[in-house]
Amino acid sequence: MRTRRALTGLWFAVACVAGLPLLTHAQEPKRGGTLRVAYGNEIANLDFYTAPGYELNWVAMNIGCGLLSITPDGKFVPSAAESWQITPDGLLYTFKLRKDVVFHDGTPLDAAAVKFSIDRIMDPATRSSMRTFYESVHSVETLDPQTVQIRLKQPYAFMLHMLAAYRMGFVVLSPTATQKYSQQDRQQGKPEAVVGCGPFRLVEWVKGSHLVMDRFDKYFEPGLPYLSRVTIRVIKDPVTQLAAFKAGEVDFIPDFSPDHLDTLKAQNPRAQIMTGKETTPMVAMMKVTVAKDGKPMSTDRAPHPIFADIRVRKAIGCYGIDRKEIVKIAFKGRATPWLGIIPPGTTDTVDVTHMCPYDPARAKALLAEAGYGPQKPLTFELMTNTEKSVFSVITTVIKEQMARIGVTANIRLTDKVSWMNTATQDGAFDMYVEDLASQLTLDLNGFLSMSTAAWNSARHTDTKVDDYYARYAREMDPGKRKVIAKEFQEFSADKLYWNTISGSPFYSVAQPWMKGYVYNAEIKVLYGRVWLER
Amino acid sequence: MRVYILKRLLQIIPTILGITFVVFVMMRSIPGDPVVSLLGDAYTEENAIKARQDYGLDKPVLLQYVIWLGKLVQGDWGTSILSGRPVLKDVLVRLPVTLELVVLSMAVALAIAIPAAIIGALRQNTWADYTATSVAMVGVSVPEFFLGVLLLLLFSIGMGGFLPSSGWVYLPGTCQTVVCAASLWGNTQHVLMPALALGVGRAALLTRLLRASMLEVIRTEYVTTARAKGLSERPVVLKHALKNALIPTVTVMGLQVGFLIGGAIVVETLFAMPGLGTFGIDAIIARDYQQVQGFALVTALTFVFINLIVDLTYTFLDPRIRYS
Repeated sequence: MRTRRALTGLWFAVACVAGLPLLTHAQEPKRGGTLRVAYGNEIANLDFYTAPGYELNWVAMNIGCGLLSITPDGKFVPSAAESWQITPDGLLYTFKLRKDVVFHDGTPLDAAAVKFSIDRIMDPATRSSMRTFYESVHSVETLDPQTVQIRLKQPYAFMLHMLAAYRMGFVVLSPTATQKYSQQDRQQGKPEAVVGCGPFRLVEWVKGSHLVMDRFDKYFEPGLPYLSRVTIRVIKDPVTQLAAFKAGEVDFIPDFSPDHLDTLKAQNPRAQIMTGKETTPMVAMMKVTVAKDGKPMSTDRAPHPIFADIRVRKAIGCYGIDRKEIVKIAFKGRATPWLGIIPPGTTDTVDVTHMCPYDPARAKALLAEAGYGPQKPLTFELMTNTEKSVFSVITTVIKEQMARIGVTANIRLTDKVSWMNTATQDGAFDMYVEDLASQLTLDLNGFLSMSTAAWNSARHTDTKVDDYYARYAREMDPGKRKVIAKEFQEFSADKLYWNTISGSPFYSVAQPWMKGYVYNAEIKVLYGRVWLER
Repeated sequence: MRVYILKRLLQIIPTILGITFVVFVMMRSIPGDPVVSLLGDAYTEENAIKARQDYGLDKPVLLQYVIWLGKLVQGDWGTSILSGRPVLKDVLVRLPVTLELVVLSMAVALAIAIPAAIIGALRQNTWADYTATSVAMVGVSVPEFFLGVLLLLLFSIGMGGFLPSSGWVYLPGTCQTVVCAASLWGNTQHVLMPALALGVGRAALLTRLLRASMLEVIRTEYVTTARAKGLSERPVVLKHALKNALIPTVTVMGLQVGFLIGGAIVVETLFAMPGLGTFGIDAIIARDYQQVQGFALVTALTFVFINLIVDLTYTFLDPRIRYS
């Protein structure tokens, strides 16, 4: 109860902080100025449909524009489409486009451009990371230059969510520029090749140095954007980020390390610290099957020698892990202990954490039942990577918690790429600790946990998981959908193919003079309404 | 001399071949696959196989090396797997930053080492000598990243942004990008802390080396002769003793360039500088093989050329040395 009250308090505080920019927005915005942004990670490349990473998404959603967008409270708002209609059977989406939308190369955004872009994403040759979300799309038809229809094979309840905000959301490309320039030109960030219809146009990207975007004067929203320029630099070291922020060298850090938040607050009492719903899960993933023939990704599977046994999974991942202690030590209490397959801030989330109370005695009993004990002690490898310091802290706490139930967890620390290889390519691991992608909806988590997904790093083969995702995504009645979601999350907590420890908080920090920014976690980082009061 | 330089330049070829081959094989031996970084969430076996084919990663390692070498001979350093950017272009953007850092770090090192070593040698076993030696010991013991953080805390956070904590302002004329800040003063402000962080450790080492060398030289007969001829202490020390004592120091300076480039990786990361160090470390982390090769190549070339220059400076320090 106390936790819930504390959480309510925290959410209220968060809502207040997140709302502050909206209140200040009532002031008369000033035009001009350069917003200096610091990212903690490098942008991989600038081909919007194929490049991985949030950093690229945050650039793409400012250079590009889509059909619609989403507000922090989940409301869909028009963008290049001024309105849309959905047929009662949920199979046909008709979008009416604005007439005044032009790309940065001067060509108009019309129905043909929308069709071109969706067809491109769906083309396997593009190798788009978005393709998986378009599985239910049958075809795209242009009725007239301002009207485009998306026909689905089966109802998809999250079509609008997907178009608005899955990864970068659906970003329309200029067909002229896309056909004229190669994928390599876009990857390299040639400004004439990276052409969108968003509030900013790309001026230059020098990998490892800077990315510069300037105001697009023909942007369709009158008066926007306010800023003349946005420059993005990469500052990887949090101490350097702190120094740069304190010295006023940067105005905004969209993804600030929670470990250094107290220091930043102490040094910059007037800084805007923004956070909100936890939409990213911190997981301790256990491997369930291994390749029978020893070939990674083989469809011929054998049980994992340790965690295929549900009793061991429950002993270790359920009763043996003290989630509250992890949150207290690793997050200084700033996260929510959690068990469900989707984190606390995701749509249709259900708190099933009570299904796994910390109970070392029960964990020991289950291990004994599975044949482990003083005579045959259980030892497993606990893997994590060096991307965030919090991962190492969590693995150390888990190691300690395992020792309490007589289990030895040997920590293996790797770099991010080695971990990614292991996770996605059926590599050898017993358990790993990571925070996975931000989940706007339960549906979005499918690409990480369906039995057929490359990111199904547990390599479970239970098609019941896939059925749940399919039923959930096709159910158009929100009430019935909630029932499926609850049932699915309880099923997942019971099977522990996916083992969440907690939510993973996300913080953005801004200088007091940065105004008009609407916090929406990793989901939307938009500079269109930002202005500088200085 | 000309023949000597030509010989040395020819020696570069096997050196470069050796280094790049070792790096090539090592990068492919460590766990990790650039295709995983490239595809990210779009990773599927099907996409991965296609991507490996596109980038020639499905070919045997030796063949890949030969292909890379063949392109290199034609001036093509390859393109980054992750960003699609030409490696040579990115190297050329970043090289001036690291070269300036390395040169200035060495200048910092010498500016500290020479006076400290002279004082230490001329006043051997006095408090001045003990101080210089002790400071040198501390300098050697402090890692670059730690000193860098201390400098950041002092000059950037503590003094309200007196010196910029990160980024880069180019020297006028060295910037190769469209949007670029370039000014002498801005450049000085940006390079000061990184050069100090990187140079102090080298200063400590050079101080100890030069002091020992000076102690040896000031006891030689020609120094005694110079003094006996009535020369004042300044020309005796600077012209006769220091110049000769510098020879072993210069040799070590050349070898230290390798350490400086290695240290630049740490310092550039800490100060978020767009130099070769960050280029190299990012490439290694992402397993961007082409970029790693480019990094290894330019590092090796820099090292070899600087050592060639070092060898040639011997003739200036000691005219008796002849290259034939």
